[in-house]
Amino acid sequence: MSVAIERPAPTQGALGAIRRVVLSDVGARVASYLFLLLLWQLVSLYEDRFPGPAEAFGFLWIEVTAGSHGGVVRGEFLEHFAATLPRFSLGIAISMVLGMVVGVVIGASKLAEALFKDTLLMLLALPAIIWAFLTQMWFGLGDDAVVITTFLSAFPFVAVNVVQGVQAIPRDLRRMSTAFGVSSLRRFRHLQAPAVTGYVFAGLRFAVIIGWNAVLLAEWFSASEGVGWRSRYWYDANRYRGFVGWVVIFILFIVLLDRLVLVRLQRRAFRWRDAQLSAIEREAEEVELGVTGT
Amino acid sequence: MTSSATVERSPRGDAHLSLGARRRVRGVLGFVVGVGGFLLVWTLLSELVVGEFQLPPPLKIGREMWAIVRSGAFADQFVPTIVRLGYGFGLALLIGFPIGYLMGTSRYWRAFFHDMVMVAGSIPGITYAVMALVVLGISVLGPVISVGLVSMPYVAINVAEGLDSVDRRLVQMSDAFGRNRSAVVRHVLVPSAAPFAFAGVRLSFALAWKVEQLTEVFGSSSGVGFQIRVEFEDFSIPGMLAWVLLFIVFMILLERFVLVRLERYLFRWRLEEQA
Repeated sequence: MSVAIERPAPTQGALGAIRRVVLSDVGARVASYLFLLLLWQLVSLYEDRFPGPAEAFGFLWIEVTAGSHGGVVRGEFLEHFAATLPRFSLGIAISMVLGMVVGVVIGASKLAEALFKDTLLMLLALPAIIWAFLTQMWFGLGDDAVVITTFLSAFPFVAVNVVQGVQAIPRDLRRMSTAFGVSSLRRFRHLQAPAVTGYVFAGLRFAVIIGWNAVLLAEWFSASEGVGWRSRYWYDANRYRGFVGWVVIFILFIVLLDRLVLVRLQRRAFRWRDAQLSAIEREAEEVELGVTGT
Repeated sequence: MTSSATVERSPRGDAHLSLGARRRVRGVLGFVVGVGGFLLVWTLLSELVVGEFQLPPPLKIGREMWAIVRSGAFADQFVPTIVRLGYGFGLALLIGFPIGYLMGTSRYWRAFFHDMVMVAGSIPGITYAVMALVVLGISVLGPVISVGLVSMPYVAINVAEGLDSVDRRLVQMSDAFGRNRSAVVRHVLVPSAAPFAFAGVRLSFALAWKVEQLTEVFGSSSGVGFQIRVEFEDFSIPGMLAWVLLFIVFMILLERFVLVRLERYLFRWRLEEQA
């Protein structure tokens, strides 16, 4: 497919088998993770404050198993996740509803587009940290600030994607269904819903990614429990292994959610559109969609 | 794209305005009415419902913005921010281009970098910001490296995609005329991939400046992000909003008028090809 894909020459014997495993796709992935661990270790050697992988994972073990960090401070993994997840889910749910309503209105009406598009772009450009600061000053510490920061940061991304979806409904098909008197229920089921679904899932994906960052930021500044607050707790205590350990959890959580659930949903919903793309084009599409925010 | 506009132009002998011009007028009108309405609602909210302290009216923020520009603070703080952004994009191109090239040409390296590139986009910005603070302390390097790391995957995946779409016949022809590998790389592959690298930068632009500003909030002693932090610590909502709005307007203008034009210029060979 690609310009010059090198193919390892088939070699016989045990040496050949090892060579094949090392050069296979799985071998390459394992090698890349080892490379990242090595890089992390090197950074930690360069800067003493920064813990290496062994220290960070050692901390994580204690935190997750609720062991003792020394003295009375115990690992509190589940407690903080239990505090954060409802805030996060509520924020995402509100941003999906609000984003879909705004997206359908702007996408379906030329007047609404002319009126609200610029305001939507402005909201899209506002960084989450501004909402985190504003909500802290407006609502003080607590759940409100975190939930509101999450949905205010995430909903413009849903809206922009839904607008794209509504505008992507093929005009010819729309006209044809009018001409042939297709009922609005069937029109919704066979034309509008399939065209928009992919974009809704793309919107959900970006809402989750953007919302996760917003939740962490808001909890960093205006919460007294939750994963963002906990990482700040270790940061403020100058226990950087705790902070870095939590960062590992943040990344693992969002990456697993994204790759195992959201990307699959999005890919499924976009099958009709992306069938003829090459693998790398599809990957580029996955990375890019939603960030562009037309 | 452009052909539809010329076909539909004045079908009923409408000699006053072409379709494009009408669309532009509608855009400007929509902007004025839409943003004007938004500001009006905002003003009413702040005067009648919430209170001026919690939600300062737009006029007050406008005055604040004007004061920032007039006092010269705007230039003082924007120059370091933009310079860091530039260095960050340089870093992204420097690392991202070779990675994308390897991904586009070799199956092994594509599998090697696949996870890093696909995952990097979903890493929350706050981790870049605070990790930079832990590793580097309060330093000008923090924002540069954050921007570089945020943009790099977009550059890499775009370069790989660009190489994927290189005209195969050009490569075959070079082979047929006995050009060696390095000549093909220099004259066919790299020139085809270069605009894609730039497209990667433009795509990640909005993401990159947000992360840069966040890094400045956490660990910098100058720049727009640092000013936002200072205003936050003074509990000055108008000051905070003034800085961030100036920043957004500036960045959107930069994207529209510099980056998009530059991209169109770099990709002009493709447009000619299509026409």
